[in-house]
Amino acid sequence: MIQYKRFTLANGLRVLVHEDHSSPMATVNLCYYVGARDESPERTGFAHLFEHLMFSGTKAAPNFDAPLQMAGGENNAFTNNDITNYYNVVPAENLEVALWLESDRMHNIRFSEKKLDVQRKVVVEEFKETCLNEPYGDVWHHLAELAYKVHPYRWPTIGMVPEHVSEASLEDVQAFYDKYYQPNNAVLIVAGKVDTDKVEVLVEKWFGHLPSGPLIERVLPPEPPQQALQQRILKAQEPADALYLGFHIPSRVDRDYYGVDMLSDILGNGPSSRLYRRLLKDKELFSAIDCYVSGSIDPGLLIIEAKPVEGINNQQARAAIWEELELLKREGVNTRELEKVKNKVESTLIFSELSVLNKAINLAFFEILGNAELINQEAQLYRKITGKELQNLAQRIFVEDNCSEVTYEAALEEAVAEV
Amino acid sequence: MPAPPPIFPVSHIELPDFEQHLLANGLPCYHINRGTQDLVRIEFICWGGRPYEKHPLVARTTAALLKEGTRRHTGSAIAEQFDYYGAHLSVPFQMDTGNLAMHCLNKQLPEILPFFIEILCEPALRQTDLQAYLKRKQQSLKEDLSKAEVVAYRNITEHFFGADHPYGYNSSPEAYADLQQEWLVEHHYRCFHAGNGFAIVSGRFDEATSSYIHGELARIPNRAAVPINTLTIAEQTPGKIVIPHVQGGQAAIRIGRRLFSRTHPDANGCYVLANLLGGYFGSRLMENIREDKGYTYNISAGYDSFRWGGTFQIDTEVSPEYVQETLQEIRHEIARLRDELIEEEELQMLRNYLMGSFLTMVDGPFNWAETVRTLLTEQLGKTDLAALIRTVQDISPEEIQRLAQRYLQDEDLWTVVVGP
Repeated sequence: MIQYKRFTLANGLRVLVHEDHSSPMATVNLCYYVGARDESPERTGFAHLFEHLMFSGTKAAPNFDAPLQMAGGENNAFTNNDITNYYNVVPAENLEVALWLESDRMHNIRFSEKKLDVQRKVVVEEFKETCLNEPYGDVWHHLAELAYKVHPYRWPTIGMVPEHVSEASLEDVQAFYDKYYQPNNAVLIVAGKVDTDKVEVLVEKWFGHLPSGPLIERVLPPEPPQQALQQRILKAQEPADALYLGFHIPSRVDRDYYGVDMLSDILGNGPSSRLYRRLLKDKELFSAIDCYVSGSIDPGLLIIEAKPVEGINNQQARAAIWEELELLKREGVNTRELEKVKNKVESTLIFSELSVLNKAINLAFFEILGNAELINQEAQLYRKITGKELQNLAQRIFVEDNCSEVTYEAALEEAVAEV
Repeated sequence: MPAPPPIFPVSHIELPDFEQHLLANGLPCYHINRGTQDLVRIEFICWGGRPYEKHPLVARTTAALLKEGTRRHTGSAIAEQFDYYGAHLSVPFQMDTGNLAMHCLNKQLPEILPFFIEILCEPALRQTDLQAYLKRKQQSLKEDLSKAEVVAYRNITEHFFGADHPYGYNSSPEAYADLQQEWLVEHHYRCFHAGNGFAIVSGRFDEATSSYIHGELARIPNRAAVPINTLTIAEQTPGKIVIPHVQGGQAAIRIGRRLFSRTHPDANGCYVLANLLGGYFGSRLMENIREDKGYTYNISAGYDSFRWGGTFQIDTEVSPEYVQETLQEIRHEIARLRDELIEEEELQMLRNYLMGSFLTMVDGPFNWAETVRTLLTEQLGKTDLAALIRTVQDISPEEIQRLAQRYLQDEDLWTVVVGP
């Protein structure tokens, strides 16, 4: 049970305070409700580039990291399709330093051509490091493009192409900041060794005077149901064959999300999961296999990724996976298997509560979804799922028309064929 | 906007105790009992890492195969048991030791711990499981070798120690193919027992749970401690190595040298020196090469230590067109360490940052258990960690410069560039 106090400032900033005195640290987590799905199709990767620019400095703190490091703190940030999340972990006595820095950069950043130029280059290097250097690192580009035709989830957070990032202008940057980086578009979590009453006073002191921004109307085109199997075969310079299947699933806020998450556990989480045990261990068809869900705010994907061993081609690999999916649809899950995933969910939730930062990030995300209390209801929601529900979900999701498939065929020459 | 708040440096860190209990079988068992959740993590650690091998790759392969089944239970039955009770079994890879770890909710311990002991003491180490493991391993090696950074890491560490040294050798398809099942059985019998290691129990547990755990761990048999192999370093004159590599869009750069273990009198100072150069976001390399030039997404420098040695390494990945400029800037930053005294303000920031990171080490039972494991594996104690903290607080600009002049001369550093 995670206890917290929630309040809202006059400018619309939502604040949650969670005390955990077992830690010597205080965490300040600021989550902005903006992500890659809010980008224009000509400027993909912008939300993430902007995250880098949030470290540009202000008049009061020309180098964001310097005072935080002086305070013995650590900070970082991440961007995904839906949110941009900034976090600071500092020795508890320096809580106010983190609050000062976050309030300062919500309103006072001074962007410059020089800073923008450097971070454009840094992000292009990041693009190369994560998408081009890593074997299969571009899979998300292909899978997203196959699975989404109109919804902005069709491009990855890092951006469709590096050029989108290198062409971003200072005007784009300022406009994005003015629109999204406003107290009424953010959630602030203060957690760890903190005193709730004192936090209320400090948050009012540092954030209370900031003006609120424009109301954001988010109208995103919903993705129409997929009508047929989408396939892409990549003959690339990868070390071995690989197969990725993506299935459309309900949104993170849909009750069915919990069942789908459990299906992904049954298939791929842990050494006794079906795909791992039967296909990798017993039949020795794969050197690696995994299954997970994207958990995005708009309807996301369940992904199965598999690397066949030498001697097994992608057709055989695909057939073996589909055989397992059909079995799941036909026979459902047994009582023991259902109990197993529920036990796993329980222990995972308890373990995750060991980390204050983890709790803070989750609280922020649930509050963005509109209901922080979900954090304490999830265990129960998972508990309630029945075997019948899982089978129904499997029958709905694991159909070929709902599937997007990317295969890598190890080859020397580079070519892309669309089927 | 109100005036910036004052900053309070962390002046003191309370290092928790880790009491040692000597079990009936002679196994030292360390307790870290704190935290907020009723869960427990148990790790068995023995002197059975690379320096204790009779053949290359045996240590890692033996540890990996423990999970594949015992004389009484199949790997599948073990996996089912751990998953069903929401427990987790892992084989943390360490250079000097053989490790096996588990964690679970306290209430599930009676269903899990007996299995853990069985896995530790009676693994089957079957030929068929070895073959299946090797098949997967050869494939993942192929994937790893397609990454420039992996090629660079393998190459530079081989040059630090020599291709036959436990810290220097690399896996290869041939070495995997040579592995014999009886070597694993021998390695396990010789190394994985109560006379050759210790256990760490961390989490939150009561008296009854603690004595239950002791009773189970005391079932591990005790045999003779394993002597260390003679370690011979193949000395080579450092140079620059360029390896062509077509895959990926960037080149990987590694620069570094062999150093020493933590017992060396300059070890603590070198820890500070490496962090100043590349240990945090505000480090010299990050500020210059990422934040000012934009040549890379990430660059770091670090001092890594083992029980019998250590290394100093800088690593980064950059586009091919930035390789020369990046090498030049790295050399420039190393020269600055040798030629200039650090300013008081920067040193203060480094001290405070590192003090904050020490505070993170004692945050929660599992972070502290990991720190304790590192200390014990390197044959160190709490006083040694306290000494490191004192060095961070007291080190002078002159001492940092002396260390840079002593250990970071250009002619003592290897440079490896792997890329298009």
